[in-house]
Amino acid sequence: MRRRPRLRNKLALVALLSGVLLTGSVPLQNPRVRSIGELLSCQCGCGASLSSCNMQNCHSAGPLREHLLQMVEAGIGDDQILATFEKEYGKIILRKPPAEGFYLLGWVMPFIGLGGGLALVWFMLQRYMAKRPTTAAAGASAGAGVEPDSPELTRYRERIEKDLSDMDSGRK
Amino acid sequence: MEVLGALAILFAFCLSVYAFLGSIVGIVRKRPYLQKSAERAVLGVFALVTVASGILVFFLTTSDFRLAYVTAHSNRAMPVMYKFASWWGGQEGSLLLWSWLLSVYSAVVVWTNRKRHTGMMPWVIAVLQFTQIFFLILNVFVEPPFHVLAVGRGVQAMQDGQGLNPLLQYWMMAIHPPMLYLGYVGFIVPFAFAMGSLITKQPGDAWIHTTRRWSLITWGFQTTGIILGAGWAYAVLGWGGYWGWDPVENASLLPWITATAFLHSVMMQEKKGMMKVWNMVLISTTYFLCIFGTFLTRSGFVSSVHAFAESSIGTWFLGFLSIGIAATVYLILSRLDYLKSETKLESVLSRESSFLFNNLLLLASAFAVLWGTLFPRISEMITGEKITVGAPFFNKVNVPIGLFLLLLTGVGPLIAWRRSSWESLKRAFRWPAVLMMVTIAALLVAGVHHFYALMSFGLCAFVTTTIAMEFWKGARAIAFRTKTNLVLAAVELTHRNTRRYGGYLVHMGIVLMFVGFTGAAFNQDTTQDVKVGDRLTVGHYDLQILEVTDGSNPNYTWQRATVAAFRDGKALGELMPERRVYVSSQQPTSIVAIRRRLNEDLYLNFAGMSETEAGHAILQVYVNPLVSCIWLGFWVVLLGTIICLVPNKVKLAYARTEMVGVYEKKTTIAE
Repeated sequence: MRRRPRLRNKLALVALLSGVLLTGSVPLQNPRVRSIGELLSCQCGCGASLSSCNMQNCHSAGPLREHLLQMVEAGIGDDQILATFEKEYGKIILRKPPAEGFYLLGWVMPFIGLGGGLALVWFMLQRYMAKRPTTAAAGASAGAGVEPDSPELTRYRERIEKDLSDMDSGRK
Repeated sequence: MEVLGALAILFAFCLSVYAFLGSIVGIVRKRPYLQKSAERAVLGVFALVTVASGILVFFLTTSDFRLAYVTAHSNRAMPVMYKFASWWGGQEGSLLLWSWLLSVYSAVVVWTNRKRHTGMMPWVIAVLQFTQIFFLILNVFVEPPFHVLAVGRGVQAMQDGQGLNPLLQYWMMAIHPPMLYLGYVGFIVPFAFAMGSLITKQPGDAWIHTTRRWSLITWGFQTTGIILGAGWAYAVLGWGGYWGWDPVENASLLPWITATAFLHSVMMQEKKGMMKVWNMVLISTTYFLCIFGTFLTRSGFVSSVHAFAESSIGTWFLGFLSIGIAATVYLILSRLDYLKSETKLESVLSRESSFLFNNLLLLASAFAVLWGTLFPRISEMITGEKITVGAPFFNKVNVPIGLFLLLLTGVGPLIAWRRSSWESLKRAFRWPAVLMMVTIAALLVAGVHHFYALMSFGLCAFVTTTIAMEFWKGARAIAFRTKTNLVLAAVELTHRNTRRYGGYLVHMGIVLMFVGFTGAAFNQDTTQDVKVGDRLTVGHYDLQILEVTDGSNPNYTWQRATVAAFRDGKALGELMPERRVYVSSQQPTSIVAIRRRLNEDLYLNFAGMSETEAGHAILQVYVNPLVSCIWLGFWVVLLGTIICLVPNKVKLAYARTEMVGVYEKKTTIAE
């Protein structure tokens, strides 16, 4: 059974829902508005794109979508539309930093990080690969006439010596 | 009672300071009674923060509007579930939840380790309480939850409250924050054990063995929290997507990525005694990213729709992070001698190498997300101009990294420990590679030309085949020996080595999620102004708006469109997207209608009635292929994680290969 809303609530509902038009949902019927709108950010603080902002009575998305629709209907190209928006509203309107000047750093830094990481991994691989205890040292410590220890035994001896020295110095 | 609540937090703070100092003095001066006393103080902190939290929840559920917090985040009309959820709906309450969860974890750690790790535990308690003190300072002095509304000297009670943010009045959002917090807070435990191990110069794996289950459970909670957040965004925000790369969403993802890297790299330490420094760095990074994520959410440092109001709380977080990071870096550097690798790497073509590359890619992904999140602020500080870094940036940078990770998910488990030959690799990867190529070719023939989609689906086929082969080989051997069928044999196989096969299931879940993410490349959507009774077409769907009704309840008024859906002339049923306006806040929200199927979702958002055209409704329609695979993938990940937590039926003890030079496996049948 359908319930009848109270007058006050009903008026509020009508006022708010009719505000949808002010938010400019209608321009979104144009596919180009939707696709270009994905590259522009709504300025109401919602963090969404111009196409995705779903805030009621949004003071930003409505006028921006109307503006975008006018430019699309005037046959202006995508790049030119984006440039115009950037000129009028600043770089903050773009959803990705422009690939120029300082902002280029935004784009290349993740790959510099990846490159640095690759270098680090390579360095670690080399280090791990080179980590072979020398048999000469093991032989010398074992004394003349004694077969050189295996690398494993050398390593264990080193560890025992380290542990004993730690105990002597009261570190453990 | 509000005084009791405030006093409980104050005493908890004092007790926490005592536990911190008592632990340190007890171990340094060798006073066991002080250590014991500090342990009991931890339990006391838990009891007191529980009392404070209980009182706040009581005020919320009984709509006691003398409290400023209750007035700001609850109202009489809200269902009890959302009144309860208001606990974490505002700054003060959510910080109290942080403190409470930390006190729970600390109490569990103290109780379960009361007879173990006696040398390490005082330091573990000190680290836990150091964090607890910080959050209790925030609870007591910075964002106290028990402020009463006062006029002059008299307490003023409001008639009704403002209610919880309408967007948060959805069942997923009621459990999303606690799940995420269980993850955030939980990573403190392995971090505390890692620090305890460093301070006591115990270079072994004790801290890793002790915290393995903690790490897994915590990771599971965080995964659940992130997916619940994505599910909420999909069902409530009305824009047809589930991830917007918002700074606060990113903040939850960052520790998850580093924790995933940690869960992989600890295997290197357990099996080979390698990457000890790296594991310390990873668990520390994860812990500090958890704190950093909370800082991002609380401080308003970056603009986000999720963030709480800008406040001075950020300074406190930065101070805590600075002290914590400086102490951790010092500890790791001063203990490098104890963290040396026990073994060497024999070949670049080995499982060990694949773990290194896996960690590299995960860390690169985390860095890219962190960089993109902070870059607007960095750019503003340097150039003075604000910029936006949104989904187009994050997708461009992270998609290739994600695909490489997917490749490693398939490659890694099939490469042998120590050393692999090209011949064995060829054998292992012949069929997965063939199926990958077949998948790509079939998709090309079917008309799919999206490069990343082809790569992603191809790699999903590759990884699925490698996982299926692993199960097939093992299950077939068991089935042959025990004369059972393959399904029972697969269950037996999994039970014998839960960690390995549970891990494969987790990988399978991730593959399913990738399938779901890739489906976004084929999304279709439209927004149309349609007369009630008329039809519109999207993709292969015909939609007819049958009627628009309205109504109200004490909490909100609603307007609902009833839409009949058809496909190829066949009726699929009715969908009822709804628009609500909440009475107390006068804030509207969408309740979208979704017809969920494994192959695609039909997603309707009712944007309201047209003002210029009488009897016209504005409908946003999205056809989102394969989205359900994301949620299905999550359940598989969760199942895999739970299986990893189950003890093995057969206890496997792997002697470290470097000790004897050959692979040795001891097998004992558990009682």
